[in-house]
Amino acid sequence: MASQANRYDVIIVGAGAGGGVAAGVLAEAGKRVLLIERGRSLSFEEIGRDHLRNQRLSQHGHNAGPDIVGNPRVSVDGRGRARTIRPHEGGYHNNAACVGGGTRVYGAQAWRFMPQDFRMASTYGVPQGSSLADWPISYEDLEPYYERAEWEVGVAGDRAAMTHLPSYRRDYPMPSIPVNQQGRVYRRGASAIGWHTLPVPLLINTTEYNGRAACHQCQHCVGFACPTDAKNGTQNTLIPRAVATGRCESVTEAMVERIETDGAGRVVGVAYFDREGTRTEARAEVVVLSAGATETARLLLNSATAAEPQGIGNTHDQVGRNLQGHYYPGVVGLFSEPMFDGLGPGVTTATCRFNHGNDGVIGGGMLADEFIVLPIIFQKRMLPPDLPKWGAANKAFMRDSYRYISDIKGPVQDIPSPEARVTVDPQVRDRWGIPVVRLSGTTHPETVRTAAFMWERAKEWVLASGAVKVWGKPPELMLSGGQHQAGTCRMGDDPRTSVVDAHGRVHGHNNLYIADASVHVTNGGFNPVLTILALSFRTAEHIAQSW
Amino acid sequence: MLTAQQTEVLQAAINRIIPPDESPGGWDAGAGDYLLRQLDRGGDLSHFAEFYAKGLDALNDEARTESWAAFATMDDAAQDALLARVEADEVTAKWPVEPSVFFRRLVEHTMEGFYGDPGNGGNRDAVSWQMIGFEVRG
Repeated sequence: MASQANRYDVIIVGAGAGGGVAAGVLAEAGKRVLLIERGRSLSFEEIGRDHLRNQRLSQHGHNAGPDIVGNPRVSVDGRGRARTIRPHEGGYHNNAACVGGGTRVYGAQAWRFMPQDFRMASTYGVPQGSSLADWPISYEDLEPYYERAEWEVGVAGDRAAMTHLPSYRRDYPMPSIPVNQQGRVYRRGASAIGWHTLPVPLLINTTEYNGRAACHQCQHCVGFACPTDAKNGTQNTLIPRAVATGRCESVTEAMVERIETDGAGRVVGVAYFDREGTRTEARAEVVVLSAGATETARLLLNSATAAEPQGIGNTHDQVGRNLQGHYYPGVVGLFSEPMFDGLGPGVTTATCRFNHGNDGVIGGGMLADEFIVLPIIFQKRMLPPDLPKWGAANKAFMRDSYRYISDIKGPVQDIPSPEARVTVDPQVRDRWGIPVVRLSGTTHPETVRTAAFMWERAKEWVLASGAVKVWGKPPELMLSGGQHQAGTCRMGDDPRTSVVDAHGRVHGHNNLYIADASVHVTNGGFNPVLTILALSFRTAEHIAQSW
Repeated sequence: MLTAQQTEVLQAAINRIIPPDESPGGWDAGAGDYLLRQLDRGGDLSHFAEFYAKGLDALNDEARTESWAAFATMDDAAQDALLARVEADEVTAKWPVEPSVFFRRLVEHTMEGFYGDPGNGGNRDAVSWQMIGFEVRG
């Protein structure tokens, strides 16, 4: 039994984008909060600038968790062959496990989804074999919380440029990041073919904001921590706010084993292993899961009870299905003028012309220029396929072309498949003895068609901007997830086809909520973090007001 | 770790993967230092140590089979031609590891040592970054 000291109003599992916001909102609303994070609180120095071990290139490891040892997953390929993989290896679909989660090391693009993104099924119809559905809430429902995220976490952008969205009630708190050399070239190219471009909104301070400095435009943004702490995540905004109330206790390096219920199946708390490996039970009136789309689904599935023998919230076999992420079709171009001026983060310019209304395909996506590319990533991923892989020609090309090469790419809205899924593996356990995530299936083939369409648009933009040579691989069918993982516990009014209701509450439970991208019905043609933050503001506010 | 002869073969191969020209070659830039450090006990490539030892010996055998010379003593053009055949699995010596897989890994790890951050033990004084124009400010 949990001792008196282990009793809270709310337990939040996971201190990333969703959990961090929930902690801040609920602690400030007067609730006693326990925030449990399996990773550590990482300093700038601990995250470091290792070009071979980071969230962008995890060749030999990574820099923001989870630990390489003791955290396996199982990946099942198209022929049903399962293999056990480690967190930095392909197929794991890792997202950072540390205080702040992905927001500690992300590129910080701060996109709102569009109104149509909440109504994909009614806009396009449901292709055969897809679980495409509308959200139970609309853009208008979420709009005030987008605004809160933009102001309370901190976004730099230009409201007037966001012509693909209904007009904003309030501008962004900070002006856009200054355009750099590649951005100028791409804006000129888009303009030549009549495409509207806009500055990419970023969760990065461009002026001093919230007591922290402005961005110095360094070259190590995405995949790393910020040297001036100008990159806004939950670790430097909502979590410190939660702690400052004196009502939020946070424990790190603590792994939640299961959701605890009473004899009637009512959620009463969680059991977790602390950093010494001691199993501890904590009790609360409300439990909020914010562990990310793979780990939240895993926790529900690993919490079977007599009342819900298939896992909590899984009576209708919905938990873990519809895993989505983003395809990123992209085209690389060699230009006759320099594209690199060294000014980070790098991404400044996007178009939303192709998010919707494309002939013959479902949805679409945003296209944008690229973050500064580390030299080893450039060598591994961006060289033309006809270039020798080694020798004098390879070296000369690197020397002559690094500053003249640039790419356009963007996230394509996934068309969900119920077979793209997270289950738990019947054999493999993690270092605590907990059954691990098993990933299987692929996205729906319609996603690949849309991605192929967007790949052509990327090529069109690169060529219009003056590239003398272009290359890049067309998209192929695969499982999508990764850092943009979403959809495994989607929202809906019908418990037979969804896991949570429109407020993020798990069907059949009155005190179990999910506040992360698991609840996304669809994942937009945009980086999803602002939607995760906004939904968490909305869910947490609902919880605070409900008792 | 590697024998003196294996290290000689490694040095010669790294200097053909990234040849010296107006800027340093792979070996002088520390790509080999990176590789030896990672292959050593505790390094991230330590599980490849035996694979490398076998592959380097086989590369030398290939040179001797073909031209009765140690790989390191062949001229640049001959080394390049031999490596191209190894890359294509067109070998005559008996290889205990798959030639193309060995060479692909050697190229991959050499590039990591040359273009990765100096903190990984290669890319001495960020020489490759200066060469391509990757600047670190702030």
